[in-house]
Amino acid sequence: MEVKYINPFILATQTVFKTMLGITAELGKPVLKTINSTSGDVTGIMGLVGDKKGMIAISLKNDGAMFVFKTLVGDECNSISPEVVDAIGELTNIISGQARKEFEKSGINLKAAIPMVVVGNAVEMNFITKIPIISLPFYFSLNNGNGGEKEVMFVDFSFE
Amino acid sequence: MRVLVVDDFATMRKIIKNVLRQINIDNVIEAENGKHALDVLKKEEVDLIISDWIMPEMTGIDFLKACKGDDGIKNVPFLMVTAEAQKDCIMEAIKSGVDNYIVKPFTPEKLQGAIDKARARIGK
Repeated sequence: MEVKYINPFILATQTVFKTMLGITAELGKPVLKTINSTSGDVTGIMGLVGDKKGMIAISLKNDGAMFVFKTLVGDECNSISPEVVDAIGELTNIISGQARKEFEKSGINLKAAIPMVVVGNAVEMNFITKIPIISLPFYFSLNNGNGGEKEVMFVDFSFE
Repeated sequence: MRVLVVDDFATMRKIIKNVLRQINIDNVIEAENGKHALDVLKKEEVDLIISDWIMPEMTGIDFLKACKGDDGIKNVPFLMVTAEAQKDCIMEAIKSGVDNYIVKPFTPEKLQGAIDKARARIGK
């Protein structure tokens, strides 16, 4: 897969983390995903159609998902409630929208569907595309960027 | 300032309310789509409308057109918030009289700037 198809997802994720959560998302080493299952515990999935077709999955572990909810909404939470699930759906929607904005700069117009959120670890996911799934790990601090424990969010996508 | 936030996702309404709180706007009422928002506006006065684009029952663009076609509401600044960054969507909103738009993601400062521009356009 060409770099020009990967960069929009990196830029989109880092921009959304900086603007909506006020923290830095550090890109780890991208890997080719060989297992068609969710990378974390709460996963927002969205199909992309238009000039290209593909799919993006935003996957967080429970603590990361609750952190995103608390930071975005401003409410406390101690479990993966329906509101946390909705927040991850919205995060998926916003990252996808930002990625589409980046693709548009390269003359690639994409449209997205409504995101679906899957709760559970290693849930089977079947991507509609035939090419490999690229998994981008992004590391962030649960302590509002002040060091301490790091969480990971996976941005998995397949794009042809 | 009293703000009407229109979005079909309750969590997104909370996210916008959270950002509004950060710019000291606490007086917020909510509606879950354009149709519901028009019902709310028959009973309540607001100083600003912040609306999503894609919603069931009545979309943001149809809601915008309804507001700008109503003499009682047309002077309420209308700010469109959307993840749709595509130019044709924005052009359609501008043609339909939107006072400003903001594309997600946004910071509290960016939202404040968008609100100020929307209000200035209406002369408020």
